[in-house]
Amino acid sequence: MRIPPERLAEILDVAEDGIVTVDSQHQIVLFNRGATKIFGYDPAEVLGKSLDVLIPLASRGVHRGHVEQFARGPVVSRTMGERRTVTGRRKDGTEFPVEITISKLIVEGEILLTAIIRDAEDRKKYEDALLRLNQDLEERVRARTAELAERNLQLTQKTEENEMFVYSVSHDLRSPLVNLEGFSEELRIVVRDLQRLLQDERIPGDLREQLDALFAGGVRESIDFIRTAVGRLSRIIDALLRLSRAGRVVYQTQVLNVGAIARRVVDAMRKTADEKKVEVMIGELPPAWGDPTAVEQVFANLIGNALNYLDTSRPGRVEVGALPDGSPSGSHTYFVRDNGIGIPEAYQSKLFRALQRLHPDKAPGEGIGLAIVRRVLERLGGTIRVESVVGEGTTFYFTLPAGSQ
Amino acid sequence: MSHESMTILLAEDDDGHAQLIERNLKRAGFVNRVVRARDGQETLDIVRTGREGLPPSSQFLLLLDINMPRIDGVEVLRQLKADPRTARIPVIMLTTTDDPREVERCYQYGCSVYITKPVRYEDFVEALTRLGMFLEIVKLPSAPNGDRPTP
Ligand SMILES: Nc1ncnc2c1ncn2[C@@H]1O[C@H](COP(=O)(O)OP(=O)(O)O)[C@@H](O)[C@H]1O
Ligand SMILES: [Mg+2]
Repeated sequence: MRIPPERLAEILDVAEDGIVTVDSQHQIVLFNRGATKIFGYDPAEVLGKSLDVLIPLASRGVHRGHVEQFARGPVVSRTMGERRTVTGRRKDGTEFPVEITISKLIVEGEILLTAIIRDAEDRKKYEDALLRLNQDLEERVRARTAELAERNLQLTQKTEENEMFVYSVSHDLRSPLVNLEGFSEELRIVVRDLQRLLQDERIPGDLREQLDALFAGGVRESIDFIRTAVGRLSRIIDALLRLSRAGRVVYQTQVLNVGAIARRVVDAMRKTADEKKVEVMIGELPPAWGDPTAVEQVFANLIGNALNYLDTSRPGRVEVGALPDGSPSGSHTYFVRDNGIGIPEAYQSKLFRALQRLHPDKAPGEGIGLAIVRRVLERLGGTIRVESVVGEGTTFYFTLPAGSQ
Repeated sequence: MSHESMTILLAEDDDGHAQLIERNLKRAGFVNRVVRARDGQETLDIVRTGREGLPPSSQFLLLLDINMPRIDGVEVLRQLKADPRTARIPVIMLTTTDDPREVERCYQYGCSVYITKPVRYEDFVEALTRLGMFLEIVKLPSAPNGDRPTP
């Protein structure tokens, strides 16, 4: 069907939105019922008047500028206050937010501007509520972050206290241990000398035999057990000292040529690698930010482990590399991969704890290396994780803050 | 200059450690007199003002434990090296750990050699060789006995 032209005006009039048309002098030439509802004016009160009656005093100048700019411009229609809310003024003087779309039409050489106006008070209310909600959320996130930072600080202090404690205890234990080590060595020497004296022919043969048996079986064996135990104790204490030192030593952070550090470590282990016929490959390693000695320690432990825990039934391969960018911003992920014996899933969570060893027969050690690695990375602002399949191999991934390039 | 008249001043608070060190000094061939100080203050006193039968003009070789009560070994080292009258005394530091920072601090203050306990007689031989004193101070025992160094 076709709508007869005279009814078009009716449609305009009953529209819920306010429709206001002004001529080039900004005089109102059309004011529908919707506009009456929004502004409180009857059409008769505003027709022929300046558009300014609908605009708060303060923004009249700015508004006029906008309208004139639009009238001259090439754009035919546009929404004002889509994001920003424009303010309107009711008959009773109250001001309220409105959403306006204006369009222009040239009728008989005259520019007519039509504004479709929607009361945005409700929308504004929702927006304000949303805004408040957002602020509230942000506030809570901030508070929680601060709380976490505080907790973190407390934890760090706790860790440092623990390290201080471990350090002083291990240090104090060294002193009595030196006596144990020293005097068991003295005993060994004395027994050796006594056994020599036993060779003197003035000693009757049967007595010599009995004494010899006592020395060899009773005394020397006991001493050997003590010395083995003391040696082990000593290595454990040294390992604890090293761990606590890793947490306390002062770092000199700088941009690091990680590739050079990894090559230095591999060169130092070249002999071991060659003996075990292991192929070691080093890929492209981007610069990091950290302490050179600490990062070298990380590579030394991981590469050392890779060489230690190989599967002798196949040629060993160790690869040092970095993941392509796409790591969390501001950091790089490096890895040390081997095709060794692997680590069972159940053990992986214990791996980074001090004094934990899964393959004590494969290599000498105290189970402190990975604990040091984890502590060092924590201090440098990095993380470490492991992926491993028994019988296939292990990859350690760790992150370091990126060095500026 | 001969070092035979040199006195070894052993600054060590732990009796066991002191005893072990003396035994190993003997094993290394030392015939010199050994005087024991039990803490840092006593060490400084002996070096500065002497003791009965031991004038302050005596030549000392100082074996200095780091961990001692009251004044520790590092402080003793610092004070001795800061005083021109005592700065030339050769000092061998003794410690129970090989803490790299501790080692560095001692070298900064001017210690000559650094030995980690327990001290084996080989460590003394090496330390004295580094001080350039070994042949002057040591008299290898002529007759074999239980205290002789065995390689
Ligand atoms: N690359 C690896 N492949 C298989 N097992 C490993 C690897 N790295 C570490 N492990 C296991 O984790 C244990 C702890 O390692 P670490 O902390 O370096 O101490 P250590 O090497 O002295 O035992 C090792 O004893 C070993 O059982
Ligand atoms: Mg290891």
